[in-house]
Amino acid sequence: MTSTEPRPDLASGESRADRFVRELAELKIPDPAAARAALWLRLGATLMVLGLVLAVSAYFVSHNTQNPLDQRDGLALGLGGIAGSVVGAALFLRYSLTGFLRFWMARQSYDLAVLADRLSERDLARDLTSTDPAPR
Amino acid sequence: MNALLELRDVRAAHDGITVLHGVDLSVAAGQVVALLGPNGAGKTTTLRLAAGIHPAQSGQLLLGGRDVTGVDARDLARAGVCLIPEGRGVFPNLSVRDNLQMMTFTGRTRAEIEEIAYTRFPVLASRASQTAGTLSGGEQQMLALARGLATDPAVLLLDELSMGLAPLIVTKLYEQVAEIARQGVAVLIVEQFAAAVLGIADHAAVLVRGRVELQGSPDGGLRDELSALYLGSSA
Repeated sequence: MTSTEPRPDLASGESRADRFVRELAELKIPDPAAARAALWLRLGATLMVLGLVLAVSAYFVSHNTQNPLDQRDGLALGLGGIAGSVVGAALFLRYSLTGFLRFWMARQSYDLAVLADRLSERDLARDLTSTDPAPR
Repeated sequence: MNALLELRDVRAAHDGITVLHGVDLSVAAGQVVALLGPNGAGKTTTLRLAAGIHPAQSGQLLLGGRDVTGVDARDLARAGVCLIPEGRGVFPNLSVRDNLQMMTFTGRTRAEIEEIAYTRFPVLASRASQTAGTLSGGEQQMLALARGLATDPAVLLLDELSMGLAPLIVTKLYEQVAEIARQGVAVLIVEQFAAAVLGIADHAAVLVRGRVELQGSPDGGLRDELSALYLGSSA
């Protein structure tokens, strides 16, 4: 059976539990944050596809009519579709790249830490007070 | 003592099928709570929900008294919620040292992390260069715990720690878990096999088909009620 009296952090006098409560209180938690990024990602993908569909449809609308007013409508719709598609693609890239870059950064940081350790281990193995046998 | 982790009337579903039907559970700092129950009772879902990985249909997840329902699991992990999943959660193709070094993202140096790990689990020091996948099940679980401790958790969530391990190893691991709790960490353990975990638990809850059917202190006759629940007779 365990004691339920937590040990305080010797340095600050604050227990881990107290720090946890304080940090959670300071944590900037957006209200319904659960799926905000996923929502933007989905919205981006939807907009990208819809924009393209709209642009293609608008082409056929303007192509299959002799009426200049309808053709202009088609033109406006097509441009709107392309604009929507570009905005959607930007949103999609922004939120999908975030996830990818987060992983990539973690990997980079790990590789750099390994490299730093290797270099420091090599330096520790060498006698830094001796003359360098192969001056660079 | 105020609860560090609290679930209030939580409901959750898998593929539209509700698996948790209003679970209430709380764990205070320094307390070990065992969540028991048969396969498919919703234990792992409860744990994943507490870690912010699984969304709740309704109800509240409170950490340190704050409602964090729906908050990103990464934010909760940064704040100090650590989930050690079933299946140990180590990188099998990396050495023990590299597995520990992966935890330097927490801001601690490799030396600090190794000190934490090797002080608590000395056997890992002698296996430092060994690939994690070639360690015994118990050693892999020690490595997973050591990696979890490197995050300086305030809430530790353990899923089926004893899975596939010899009883003696399980006892030793649970001794370490009790020691971790004594340092002020709130520990929630999901277990299918009650015997070992009830030895260190301050409180236990039995989950059956997504509902807490029974809860109380292991000293307060819970073991008898547990037997009755499993065997289908009155205590």
